[in-house]
Amino acid sequence: METGGIEIPFLILLLLIPLIGAVVTAVMSKKPKRAKNVALLFSGITLAVTLMYGYLLSAASTVYSDSESYAWVDTEYLRISFDMGVDGMSILMILLTAALVFIVTIFSRYESDRPNTFFALILAMEVGLMGVYMAQDYFLFYIFWEVTLIPMYFLISGWGGPRRHYAAIKFFIYTHVASLIMLIGIFMMVFEASAGGTLDFTFAAVKEASIAGIFSPVMQTALFGLLFLGFAAKMPIVPFHTWLPDAHVEAPTAGSVLLAAVMLKMGSYGIIRICLDIFPDGAVSWQPALIVIALVSIVYGAYACIAQKDLKKMVAFSSISHMGMVLLGIALLTELGIQFAIFQMFAHGLITSVLFMVCGVAGHNAGTREIPLLGGLAGRMPLFAAFMMFGFLASLGLPGLVGFVAEFGIIFAFFEYLQTTPELLWIIVFALASLLLTAGYYTWAMQRTIFGKETTKIDIEKVHDVSRTEVLALTALCAMIAIFGLMPSLILEVIQTMPLPMGVF
Amino acid sequence: MIPLLAFVVVGFFGNKFKGGGTAIAVLSAVAAFALSGVVSYAYLTGDLYSTSQPYVASIKWLAFGSYELNFGIYIDSLTCVMMLFSSFISMLIFVYSIGYMGGEGKKKRRYYAEISLFLAGMLGLVLSSNFLEMFIFWEIMGVCSYLLIGFWSYKHPEGDEASMKAASAAKKAFLVTRLGDVCFMAGLFVLLWTFTSLDFTVVFDAANIASAETGMVILGALLLFGGVIGKSAQFPLQDWLPDAMAGPTTVSALIHAATMVKAGVYLIARSYPLFIQNADVMLLVAIIGAVTAFIAATMALNNMNIKRVLAYSTISQLGYMVMALGAGGYLIAMEMQHGVPTAGILATVGFTAGVFHMMNHAFFKALLFMGAGSVIHATGTEDMRKMGGLSKKMRKTSWTMLIGCLSIAGFPLFSGFWSKDMILEATMEPSIAGLAAGDIFLFLFALAAITAFLTAFYMFRMWFMTFHGKPKDESIHCHGESPKSMTIPLIILSIFALGSGFLIFFGLGDIITFNVSGSGAYYFGGDGHTPAHIFDAIVTNIWTYVTMGLALIGILLAYLMYARSLINPARFNANGRSRVYRFLNARYFFPELYDQIALKLGFGVAKGIDYLDKNLIDGTVNGISNAVVGGSGALRKIQTGHVRDYVSLIALGVIAIMAILALLVFSGGI
Repeated sequence: METGGIEIPFLILLLLIPLIGAVVTAVMSKKPKRAKNVALLFSGITLAVTLMYGYLLSAASTVYSDSESYAWVDTEYLRISFDMGVDGMSILMILLTAALVFIVTIFSRYESDRPNTFFALILAMEVGLMGVYMAQDYFLFYIFWEVTLIPMYFLISGWGGPRRHYAAIKFFIYTHVASLIMLIGIFMMVFEASAGGTLDFTFAAVKEASIAGIFSPVMQTALFGLLFLGFAAKMPIVPFHTWLPDAHVEAPTAGSVLLAAVMLKMGSYGIIRICLDIFPDGAVSWQPALIVIALVSIVYGAYACIAQKDLKKMVAFSSISHMGMVLLGIALLTELGIQFAIFQMFAHGLITSVLFMVCGVAGHNAGTREIPLLGGLAGRMPLFAAFMMFGFLASLGLPGLVGFVAEFGIIFAFFEYLQTTPELLWIIVFALASLLLTAGYYTWAMQRTIFGKETTKIDIEKVHDVSRTEVLALTALCAMIAIFGLMPSLILEVIQTMPLPMGVF
Repeated sequence: MIPLLAFVVVGFFGNKFKGGGTAIAVLSAVAAFALSGVVSYAYLTGDLYSTSQPYVASIKWLAFGSYELNFGIYIDSLTCVMMLFSSFISMLIFVYSIGYMGGEGKKKRRYYAEISLFLAGMLGLVLSSNFLEMFIFWEIMGVCSYLLIGFWSYKHPEGDEASMKAASAAKKAFLVTRLGDVCFMAGLFVLLWTFTSLDFTVVFDAANIASAETGMVILGALLLFGGVIGKSAQFPLQDWLPDAMAGPTTVSALIHAATMVKAGVYLIARSYPLFIQNADVMLLVAIIGAVTAFIAATMALNNMNIKRVLAYSTISQLGYMVMALGAGGYLIAMEMQHGVPTAGILATVGFTAGVFHMMNHAFFKALLFMGAGSVIHATGTEDMRKMGGLSKKMRKTSWTMLIGCLSIAGFPLFSGFWSKDMILEATMEPSIAGLAAGDIFLFLFALAAITAFLTAFYMFRMWFMTFHGKPKDESIHCHGESPKSMTIPLIILSIFALGSGFLIFFGLGDIITFNVSGSGAYYFGGDGHTPAHIFDAIVTNIWTYVTMGLALIGILLAYLMYARSLINPARFNANGRSRVYRFLNARYFFPELYDQIALKLGFGVAKGIDYLDKNLIDGTVNGISNAVVGGSGALRKIQTGHVRDYVSLIALGVIAIMAILALLVFSGGI
């Protein structure tokens, strides 16, 4: 964008800075300490640039929209361009990505096993995530989508738990297959849109075709389905979720945080950005199914949480439940539904990061994450207990914190939507019941881990509280959760500037 | 009206500076009370009060679609009464805590931070200008109570068993009230959708209510009442409150007298304009209240734990308040809905009585809990069987407790007498007026009268067992009277427990009802609350003497059984086989029922889903992958983690893409 008469290519910068950071960090195998600092520096610069960009955008106009375009392949038969752009939704996700990568880098300072590669992978992942959220060309979108996959795969298989290879390969194959299905969808869509002319992969071209009515209703339904399948596995939505708990349980904390907080959002982002925007008729025909599977995900995820013995697995399942909320908001195809779904994406990103960090602390400071082995930890780990409680309360939707606004908005949107069919009003009970179940598994988990009798099943003398860098990272996140919970309009007003997808009425 | 902003800030004061501990928390409570006084004085002497207008100030919080949510302050005389008594009592509890929690060491900081936030939550709730804001503070209180009930949930002074219990009680309190909260939240959806705003000024506007869909208004009121049932421990969600006794006694006093459970009753009083839209809703409210009052009183009859007896009495008294609001509202609703004329003045009695009793109850229940705390502090036990003869060693505590007992039992001239009598009168009224549900109300009146008798009995049973006779257990060593920081609040409160009832003769009735939207006076413009009128109504009413007599018989019976031992209490439970006795002790088997529901609906289903997940869904996934790769042997080979394998997998993907592309190209005819 242009500022003060100078044209600054912010979007390309946001890709290049972490990329350079990744390369620089990767080669520093001899100086592990310096590698950590370099990674911190680069993620810090990225965050600073992102914040500046966001500020300039908000100062420049009221709509947070910007784009950059670079020609790439431009022939008579094929056009793929390096198109990037942002709107109210993208800018939020980009901000979230930059902030979380920075916080995760602070949090992971304890990492002593090949730190240069570890942090390089995190920065590489940032490149991919940024790319996905700003791509305006389907080819580009797909490339970045796949780019995120590889660093995550290596993070899990290189720094994970005992079953890391199984989890990593499962994660890879599962999401890769989903990506391929999505790719088929993208190709079919672009071929159809080009209607024998130039194969144009840009978002703009396909959108134009969609407005022109090139996609027949049947075609829309089919393409919506293909793309949705790819996105749903990423979110993940029951029954395509089983890679997630395994991946989380084995992944290192930094990996889990980025996976749950930003990577899962790629799925819902894709649904809003592509499925709803290009295939409004397809969205309508899929709507009942979407609502049903969203509700199933919400309740199923919550129930599965109750049964878990591993703290981290429980948090992983809670992500399924909360991403189900996102899908519910999207599936309503109403203005409020979409807006609060995006709000929930943002809120869940912040909250779930706290939760996974807390699980990470339990793992390496108490020695285990198995709930039956823990108990009475609040005595020896008061800070840990405080963060855990804050995270859990935020996640169960305590008013005054950011999660509440999101859940309130989505369920209210659902209520509003159901007013068109009052005889179905009762199904809102499922959404409400999940609030109760969520409170149930969190308070039960707290009762068994931080309260009650001090455990004798682990070596209690070795237990130590949260370290200083971890406190820093967790405090930053908790502060954001509280600030955006008390002043949700800061976020919501950005979301409201986004042009609504075509599928929304 | 400028102090308002400062007031809200002060509410959060103690929390922000929690490092400072005791002094700051106590000072913030004093400041909160002082500011409540200033604000109330400014409002009650201002123009707004004399013209029946609330003071409202708010800012926009969140806007979406056509809906707008605000954040602000709403003050009418009900607000003034509520914030005065809750901040006053909280202040005394804070002072009392200096002595009671003195030995907690480092945990004091946490304690004072949490009770400060608790008070802030209550004051915020009372001052809220809309339902959402109220809900936020409502939940903040819920969390504070969770933390405080579980205050000893680790490293309990009485050992690990007790800390497990505290942790479990805290969870139960949170979850049971959460069930109510979810109803409340659903109520918010209904109201927000109906009125596009949750501001009291909009929702209570008669024109808006009239143009809204009646069904929606009723549904909204019912769902709000669901929240009340959870928070104010009404039947059938009453069961968390006795368990909540696991926290420090000061916390019980705070929850029972000044804050949390009163929030539910306040919510009914506040949303009266919605509730009175339908007589049946009000009938339901009254029935729930009466049933709660009765069953909780019976549960208190044979309990041996001094704090639990008080907990049951709280539930029972809350039932009274809810019943009064229901009965009064029923009259108003009948008049508005069906045009059945009721004496306008009488219709206001229910509302006045409910709020009046809430205030009186706050004084005497805080007194009783703090007295019990003083006893526990001195003896180190909560079991009344081990107490006895304490009046000699703890004169101040025993006298102040006696005043509290007389007050709650409704002994003439004590504060509980006036408000309880008004409640009974209000319950009787629909029957006297010959309304449709008159017979039901007659039955409720009977329940309430029996409850009055039971209350007098179990309260004096407690007093005699604790203070009268000889020490029963020599192993319990009494340290003697508690420190001044504990006895002075007791003495102050006993003055109020004795005298707050007389306030009704000095215009309190007017203050409570005069300009509170929804109360009878607001609609019918009744100003008959002259002291002479009220006094006349009470003295000339035969039922006054009936309930008075019942209370006296209750006290006498307790005296005979536990002081003079003329009737042996053990006879009622010969050989421990009495079914009734066991039934009461098991709290009507409610805890059992809850546990079963939680186990079956919660854990049972969860186990099932977990099994399904591991075997069916994940099994299918693994099965497919095995089939694709060609048996488990091949899969294991892949999992060995050679880069070569992944490369070949990706290559496989690329080939698949090529194939599809080719297919598309040929079939598409490009």
